[in-house]
Amino acid sequence: MKILFFGQLVEVVGAKELSIEGGTDIHALTSSLHQLFPLLAQAKYVIAVDQEIISDNRNLQEHNIVAFMPPFSGG
Amino acid sequence: MKERTPKNIFIQGAISSAFIADSIQKHSTKTDIGGHSIFLGQVRADEIEGKKVVAIEYTAYEEMALQKMHEIREAVFAEYPLTCMHVYHSLGKVAAGEICLFVFTSSAHRKAATEACNVLVERIKAELPVWGAEILEDETHQWKVNQ
Repeated sequence: MKILFFGQLVEVVGAKELSIEGGTDIHALTSSLHQLFPLLAQAKYVIAVDQEIISDNRNLQEHNIVAFMPPFSGG
Repeated sequence: MKERTPKNIFIQGAISSAFIADSIQKHSTKTDIGGHSIFLGQVRADEIEGKKVVAIEYTAYEEMALQKMHEIREAVFAEYPLTCMHVYHSLGKVAAGEICLFVFTSSAHRKAATEACNVLVERIKAELPVWGAEILEDETHQWKVNQ
């Protein structure tokens, strides 16, 4: 599964993209990422699965693309 | 309504005044237009803890931003009787004083163009996954926060 990071989160994680094996769900994914990158736990972000912003937990499959996005600041 | 496919809105670096002028010129053949509304976003040289912003470096989740812009475009076309709508946003580095956002709407009568232009600018800032890093004069940076 592909995990993308944007904006300041690239600096927090030290990568634009991570890849993990197998299925999981949003809760399990975020808690393991928070353990790996403690600053991520303090950061503000929304999550998009396949470009759709989600607010509830959901199962993730190998083919999903999960994006961690800090508050938008375009324009 | 005519089907519209997602258009690329991103331009590498600043949006030049020649590009903007050319874009205006192209509408002279569309004689059903009675009014244009243009918003230009310019990079401001804010001072942060005594250090000046010299540029903003933009990055985006491009595929998602283009899909989102397509939805916004469709919604605004459905709500306002527009003849034309053009949106361009910079990616990469844009120096203070340069243009980073160009929103251009046209309609038969002025009201639709001005209102649609305002709605577009607000929605672009709130809904497009785009991020700006403010580059300071000592080459450090901080992440822009939209107000």
